[in-house]
Amino acid sequence: MTLFERVFGGNDAVYGLTVSAVDNAIAQYGESQAVSFPDTAYALPCYFGVTGVKVTTLGEMKAALDVIKSLMTRNARLNDAFMSGVATALCAEFIEALKYLNGATPYEMPCYGHLADAVIRNLGVPLVTGDIPGVAVILGEAPSADEAVELVKSYQAQGILVTLVGGVIDQLEEKGFKTGDNVRVIPLGKDVTAVIHVVSVAVRAALIFGNIAGGDAAGLMKYTFERVPAFVNAFKPLDDVIVACGAGAIALGFPVITNETENIFRVPKSLIVQEDVSKFNATSLEARDIKLKITKIDIPVSFASAFEGEIIRRGDMQIEIDGSRKDCFELVTTTDPLEIEDHKIVVEGPELDEFEVGSKISVSYTIEVGGKNMQPDFEAVMERKIHSYLNCIEGVMHTGQRDMIRIRISKADYEAGFRLKHIGEVLYAKIKSEFEAVVDKCQVKIVVGDEANKVLRAHANEVFNKRDDRLRTMTDESVDQFYTCTMCQAFSPSHVCIVTPERLGLCGAVSWLDAKATNELDPTGPCQIVPKTNCLDEKMGRYVDVDEAVNKYSHGALEHVTLYSLFQDPMTSCGCFECICGVEPVSMGVVITCREHPGMTPLGMTFSEMASMTGGGVQTPGFMGHGKHFISSHKFIAAEGGPGRIVWLPKLLKDQIRDHLDATAKEMYGVDNFTDMIADETVCTEDPEQLLAFLTEVGHPVLSMEPFDM
Amino acid sequence: MDRLITVEELEAATNSLLENGKKVGADSWQQRVKNQTPHCGFGEAGTCCRICSMGPCRITPKAPRGICGCDVHGIVGRNFLKFTAGGAAAHSDHGREIMHTLHQTSADGNYQVKDPDKLIRIAKEWGVETEGKDIYELAHEMAEVGLMEYGKPFGYQNFLKRAPEHTQKLWEDAELRPEAIDREISRSLHMTHMGCSSLPEALIQQSLRVGLADGWGGSMMGTEFSDVLFGTPKPIDTTANIGVMEKDMVNIIVHGHDPSLSEMIVYYANDPEMIALAKSVGAKGINIAGVCCTANEVAMRHGIPMAGNFLSQENVVLTGACEAIVVDVQCIFPALGPLSKCFHTKFVTTSPIARIPDSEFVQFSAETAGENAKAIVKMAVENFVNRKAELVNIPDQKTNARVGYSVEAIVKVLDGVANSQVDTFGTTKPLLECVTSGVLRGAVAMVGCNNPKIRPDYAHIELMKKLIANDIIIIVSGCSAQAAAKAGLLDPVVAKEYCGAGLKRVCELANIPPVLHMGSCVDISRMLILASELSKDSGIPISQLPVVGCAPEWMSEKAVSIGNYVVATGLDTFLGVDPYVKGSSEIRDWLTGEDGINKWVEANYVVETDIEKLGDKMIERIEAKRAALGI
Repeated sequence: MTLFERVFGGNDAVYGLTVSAVDNAIAQYGESQAVSFPDTAYALPCYFGVTGVKVTTLGEMKAALDVIKSLMTRNARLNDAFMSGVATALCAEFIEALKYLNGATPYEMPCYGHLADAVIRNLGVPLVTGDIPGVAVILGEAPSADEAVELVKSYQAQGILVTLVGGVIDQLEEKGFKTGDNVRVIPLGKDVTAVIHVVSVAVRAALIFGNIAGGDAAGLMKYTFERVPAFVNAFKPLDDVIVACGAGAIALGFPVITNETENIFRVPKSLIVQEDVSKFNATSLEARDIKLKITKIDIPVSFASAFEGEIIRRGDMQIEIDGSRKDCFELVTTTDPLEIEDHKIVVEGPELDEFEVGSKISVSYTIEVGGKNMQPDFEAVMERKIHSYLNCIEGVMHTGQRDMIRIRISKADYEAGFRLKHIGEVLYAKIKSEFEAVVDKCQVKIVVGDEANKVLRAHANEVFNKRDDRLRTMTDESVDQFYTCTMCQAFSPSHVCIVTPERLGLCGAVSWLDAKATNELDPTGPCQIVPKTNCLDEKMGRYVDVDEAVNKYSHGALEHVTLYSLFQDPMTSCGCFECICGVEPVSMGVVITCREHPGMTPLGMTFSEMASMTGGGVQTPGFMGHGKHFISSHKFIAAEGGPGRIVWLPKLLKDQIRDHLDATAKEMYGVDNFTDMIADETVCTEDPEQLLAFLTEVGHPVLSMEPFDM
Repeated sequence: MDRLITVEELEAATNSLLENGKKVGADSWQQRVKNQTPHCGFGEAGTCCRICSMGPCRITPKAPRGICGCDVHGIVGRNFLKFTAGGAAAHSDHGREIMHTLHQTSADGNYQVKDPDKLIRIAKEWGVETEGKDIYELAHEMAEVGLMEYGKPFGYQNFLKRAPEHTQKLWEDAELRPEAIDREISRSLHMTHMGCSSLPEALIQQSLRVGLADGWGGSMMGTEFSDVLFGTPKPIDTTANIGVMEKDMVNIIVHGHDPSLSEMIVYYANDPEMIALAKSVGAKGINIAGVCCTANEVAMRHGIPMAGNFLSQENVVLTGACEAIVVDVQCIFPALGPLSKCFHTKFVTTSPIARIPDSEFVQFSAETAGENAKAIVKMAVENFVNRKAELVNIPDQKTNARVGYSVEAIVKVLDGVANSQVDTFGTTKPLLECVTSGVLRGAVAMVGCNNPKIRPDYAHIELMKKLIANDIIIIVSGCSAQAAAKAGLLDPVVAKEYCGAGLKRVCELANIPPVLHMGSCVDISRMLILASELSKDSGIPISQLPVVGCAPEWMSEKAVSIGNYVVATGLDTFLGVDPYVKGSSEIRDWLTGEDGINKWVEANYVVETDIEKLGDKMIERIEAKRAALGI
């Protein structure tokens, strides 16, 4: 049998199953029964992506089966095999969607099933920065549970996001291997059709970040082929159904690596037979051209971004560096290079061996950096990265910053020989490799002990206060240049952020200082200088140079962008924004919601639904993605009256920005406790009238503002 | 361009140039075709014999035999063999020139050895001791060994051993192994002398044998030692079509086949002294562009733009912006003489092999190559001032082209898609995997000339478009390669959009255009080596691989010689123009039937002048070969 005949056979089988599944569901629930996946604005995302049609009922699903059938052509050409693979994937999506009928929750831990839109938006930044260098889809049952664990571990150690389908899930469970999105190992489901849940992630990435319109199947496949670094590891035996699914994966650009040798054909960079499972990792990375950012760090445990979300529970903890009870801090400080001995790591005071298990101790670490291009402004940029660096150590959990840090070191790490000096090794290695253009020399001083740290902390706080003073005075007016950020263009080719002191990148990850440092580190890189001249409209934030920059760096996709308006050429988004705001027409205010808030807003839309209105570098007046810190800026929608327009925020977001927002509102409107005047989900969720009543009751400043000039 | 240029657009450009010609009373091939039509029916059918002075004898139903008694099959067969021998002689003599150039190399002379590794590799293949020898000592020794391939009294061609064993066995069994090249050409002319062979089987057998002497002898030496001398081609980006000529620069067109001349011209066009001279006469610089196979040679080694192919040679002069057209051997229209006189163009002939009226003859030799080339460049530059602005018309038609896919380069591309964890490098296996899995359906080697009997370039371009849409990868050489380049089919960005999903994916993964430029017509020997490697790497005889050859617009004797060696190597060969054999049912059957050459070499000819059908037949043949292999 030829390869294409196998694909066609598998496709026919799945199509037959899908037709009967849909018929049975209709017999049970009727054609008008709603069908959907939870927490997505894209209905059945794969079908929507390929056809542009949102299937919402069983009746529509029945009709859609004819469309799928039309993809199943049978000429001996790869196009036919690809489209049959796509048809197989769409059938799988229907079968999976039927599992969610009538509000059912078909997946239980450890399996995730369908993944929410918010998960994809969260993946955007780490994927573009290379912190997640790839996405592995492991399907079937490994030759042994040990080999399954080894393979998954190998990807995890590289930061690769792993999704699991089928028997491998039980194999990991049998070995007690921890899975979950926080350690980037996500079991999807045990049926082969569950693979659609990761395909759905790739498809939505194209819709969200790539501005691919639903129905543009060719554009969709080009996007995933060129920009989504996924690959499949399929364990033998491969039946025709899996071969057909594989054709779908390859159509999207994802190579399939298998240990199957019977009745299989090899295709370079696409369908690769690797009999040795221990070489799946290396074979897959080479097949998908995944390059790893390698930092060799001399520590006794693993170091990878996959461990960033790992949680160390009290019972597993050897020691805790506890800034809430003890004097602790972390500090990066610029020092004359002549006074730095490169790679010197000193620990003053007792090492971990001298503390009881479970102790809370006082520790500080000061990183002294020097170099001819070093600027004190970069200290905070580097310091903010410490959180990520230390969390990447397997068995170490870091929270907080400055003098409010908490670090837990696990018993397993301690037993493996991990000590405080290794924290110094990690900080040294990461700072030197990521900031090599400005840091010529670096040394780390770790101090342990209450007495010593009490004095040192007071000194550190002086430094932090000085920095805050500088940041407070740093406004869009006080600098003479802005920066572009096109880091996301790997995914969102026509989006450009303009980063200003008061408006950080919409992902929340790039402040003006970050952009400045990035420009210094890589002068031809993603952050380019935008001279702040030729202002056309100060209130609106319209500059000739900004227009030129967005035009140039969006490759002509954008002509005009304002910095401070929601209606006039608002800034675009890639799709991985922290927050989105949208106009609330009844109150003439704006509603803001954030990625962490899954619930409804008074606009009748969730975050996902609002987010689907913009993204991919498209301007949608009235909707705008932005970072959290921008909300409390004087410049936030300044053209429309500023943050005083905000009428609704999720409670958790309110708590994060309250202090700054209150201060800004006091300065701008003379109002005290402005944040309390803003409604949240405890006041109203969907009813705009209820919202208006609340605003009237508290005397919200928006009520005295002019209506929007829409 | 973000799309392919159509044949209609190519014709529109040509028409605007012909308008230019009218202003100065220029003649054109288009006009001469009209003058020559209708062609002689006996000549077309191959049934006219004039090898002795008793005739000419022309065969008709009433006069079925010549005066000597030779029947139509003997006459058509003899003509076919003579035609082949002419082609083999031309190609092989080109190869011989290269061997003489190799013999002239020295570290500080006009010519050096640019690819010593390749020289050593071939020396080892031929059993020539390489240890402890200076590279030039080895080069001179190899030149002598190579030259002996033309006249050695005993034995067969050295390169035959490169063929798969199965192919070598077929040749041995059918007595097709060529001896010395000159001997095979002489033998052919001897056999066709009055009163020698008239047996169709023997004439066809010798046609294949002399063809093989060309393909696996003279041509292969021409290719391999050109690589040794000038470097083995690697993928390089250039531009193509008439728009590569530069309005503000001195335009020198190189035309012909032998790279020994063009390499030197390219060198001196970059000489600071010459560039300064060009500026002093008001030009912005010196622009070299190629026509015909010389274009292929310099494009794939230096990225020199390709102005056009065989039937474009008059177009470059008609632009009114050609300071000199410098030619060596083969496929040069004598028409360039009178045509150049209508403009300011210098028509420079350089080879004693190709002496043409109304040209300036600068005899070019390996010993004096440098000074010859410099004198020619200088002549062109000084001619810039004679250009008539009102006659300058350079059509704005230009494409991007990636060229230079030698076998070595193709293997390197394939290494790039292999996986070091499972594959071994340096083989054609990745390509074979694409074919066996069905991602690619097969390959077609498209070669050959232009011929006014076919709408120029139409067959090349339309067949290629049809084949790539059907996931069939194409290797090209000669004027077919330039037809592809002119249309944009060598542009990796544009051309992939015209492919089926399979070929498109291959192009994207390997970063190649769907049509791979393998060089000039002498470089069809590269295709023989590629087919052999595919056969060896797969264990499948060449004739069973889903690969065929095609010359849809061929016209020259060389093309018939090529056809014979391609088919004799086991590749079915599809022709769009009849090789003057339709007058004999027996010869036709020998070439195209099931009981003809097929018995010897497992392949035969298909002649189909309907181009659409020619494409369908190739696809059918490829699919039939796939079915037979069960893939």
